[in-house]
Amino acid sequence: MHISEGVLAAPVLLVGAALGLAGTAVGLKKLDYDRIPQVALLAAASFVASFIHVPIGPASVHLVLNGILGVMLGWVAFPAILISLFPQAIMFQFGGLTVLGVTTCNMALPAVLGYYAFSAGIRSPKPFVSGLCSFLCGFVAILLSSLAVAGCLVLTGGSFWAGAKMIVLAHIPVMFIEGFITLGCVRFLKKVKPEMLEVVYARP
Amino acid sequence: MKLEEFATGNSFIHHLDPRGKVVAAAFFSGLVSLTQSLTAALAALVLPVILVALARLDFKRLMTRLAVVNGFILFTWFFIPFTFPGRVIYSIGPLDIHWEGVLYACLLTVKSNAIILALIALLGTSPVLDVVHALSHLGVPDKLVHLFFFCFRYLHTIREEYHKLSEALKVRSFRPGTNLHTYRTYAYLVGMLLVRSFHRSQRILEALKCRGFSGRFYILHHYQMKRRDYLFTSCGLVLPCLLVFIL
Amino acid sequence: MIRLKNICFNYNSRQVLDNIHFRVNLGDRIGLVGPNGSGKTTLCRIIMGLLTPDGGEVEIFGQIRRKENDFAAIRGRIGFLFQDPDDQLFCPTVLEDVAFGPLNQGKSPDEAKRIVQATLARLNLTGFEERFTHKLSGGEKRLVSLATVLSMEPEMLILDEPTTGLDEQTIETLVHLLNSTNLTYIIVSHDKEFLERTTNKTFSICGGEIACS
Ligand SMILES: Nc1ncnc2c1ncn2[C@@H]1O[C@H](COP(=O)(O)OP(=O)(O)OP(=O)(O)O)[C@@H](O)[C@H]1O
Ligand SMILES: [Mg+2]
Repeated sequence: MHISEGVLAAPVLLVGAALGLAGTAVGLKKLDYDRIPQVALLAAASFVASFIHVPIGPASVHLVLNGILGVMLGWVAFPAILISLFPQAIMFQFGGLTVLGVTTCNMALPAVLGYYAFSAGIRSPKPFVSGLCSFLCGFVAILLSSLAVAGCLVLTGGSFWAGAKMIVLAHIPVMFIEGFITLGCVRFLKKVKPEMLEVVYARP
Repeated sequence: MKLEEFATGNSFIHHLDPRGKVVAAAFFSGLVSLTQSLTAALAALVLPVILVALARLDFKRLMTRLAVVNGFILFTWFFIPFTFPGRVIYSIGPLDIHWEGVLYACLLTVKSNAIILALIALLGTSPVLDVVHALSHLGVPDKLVHLFFFCFRYLHTIREEYHKLSEALKVRSFRPGTNLHTYRTYAYLVGMLLVRSFHRSQRILEALKCRGFSGRFYILHHYQMKRRDYLFTSCGLVLPCLLVFIL
Repeated sequence: MIRLKNICFNYNSRQVLDNIHFRVNLGDRIGLVGPNGSGKTTLCRIIMGLLTPDGGEVEIFGQIRRKENDFAAIRGRIGFLFQDPDDQLFCPTVLEDVAFGPLNQGKSPDEAKRIVQATLARLNLTGFEERFTHKLSGGEKRLVSLATVLSMEPEMLILDEPTTGLDEQTIETLVHLLNSTNLTYIIVSHDKEFLERTTNKTFSICGGEIACS
């Protein structure tokens, strides 16, 4: 999901930075001081979990988990995703400072959309509805994120079409895996710690 | 996951005020990412190379890092030379390689590596928390800084928990494969990590309350901008401009 | 100093404490024992106001405490050592972590640094100031978290299993430290010998009830 530095065109970078800034500002405004440790640790946990490599056939993919983060955090997903990208940006230089805004948007916007689309369904007591919504939440988050990455590339120049298509196609298996993982994860949370899905992290 | 791989060192770059370095790094990456000329990009590449040399970073580790982060750039080489319109210089079967495409791919490669090197030389040479501390001085909101601070502090702890869990999976002879059992197991692993982090965050909040936390952190180490920091930062602002605009 | 009356507590309808009475007087050195999962940690957290009991009254320093604000006032006066030191140490360096409490109490940075040095010296931790908290060994983490508690100069201590993971030498230091203060304290521990040497009263929790023994 990371685009390297120096690839994207200036307008794309600027719009990304502006949207990222706005989203983060909304998220921070909705975040109470008391919730800071919780949100920070959930971000850290999803960062650690994103190092898990899940096998698919002979290859393996790593998890992204922006869908489940979005359902729990709502708009606060923006600052949460930003801080989990930040160490990568400054320490690993996977997408450094200039693309930070774009990458944050690419991952956090689908998370927030997922929150509005699926959070009611996921919290439903009916196992089928909840299961379907959790699967879709994970699936759609990756679908939208990969489309967003592809969109950024295509907006930079027509010559990126081929690459953009490849990125979306390559993420299709990831979509299914994230769907299953989100499904299992929500079932686990509902059984073990139902409060986690009921806590309101963001002020309305 | 090697965080802060380049942060320990004794060069003068390591001792500069992180605020100056953040400003210079942000300015340099912004400027370079905007340039469209290959000569300007090449000229700009000179600066970070000098910085890396001054910082006396371990060459082998630096190359390993560059190889890893150039994955995306390598990916662009697979299609840009073919899809960027221009003069055909060579054909492989049905595919034509265009001269302008090659130049464009070169431009992306040079720009990308110039920025990566500058970030490694400037931000990588300070501990992460110092960089964040610098950011808080440069106007990044407190809440964001606190979020980052807790996230970073517990990254190690959560990673250890993850290792313990995956060892527990291993000793019970779990073999990952492409099947539902694997996905369910990983889902539970992720869920368990989230639950444990949630529990821990509640106890941290309690610890904060026990010690009279009132929403404010006090900083005991203070950096001071010295003459060399002002000098360095001004050079960091002026030199890239000269290189990029003159060429 | 502390009086708990008719305290009931349950986690998601699982009864942990059932109508408990508990009293701590000035100068008491109390050992609290009980099987795993019997509710010792829970009791400590109720005293600190980190959990709200489902019924009963918590009286601390002569006042009934109900709301968050009532407890915020006493937390600097009762030092609570957590069972897991990783929860307590969240600053990057030992210096910052130990100074965190005093700074919150309104001490100046210089004063705070002096307190840190003195506290570390008491625990034989001189020279640990710049060490990273997450890279300490388990026993070192526990000692440093004890330092974070002591640096706030509390009137009373609640230590939740302070000896787990400590070697004999360090336990000796701890025994000496506890015997040389005249603080009131409650120690939760499974270490009989340690309790014999540091406490003069033992309470045991079992099946939701507490008894002096
Ligand atoms: N956050 C929680 N949610 C649900 N149940 C809990 C929670 N914390 C503790 N419990 C339950 O409450 C009971 C008492 O727990 P507590 O931590 O007070 O035990 P303890 O006496 O300190 O045990 P130990 O000697 O193992 O530390 C246990 O059965 C535990 O399962
Ligand atoms: Mg306990």
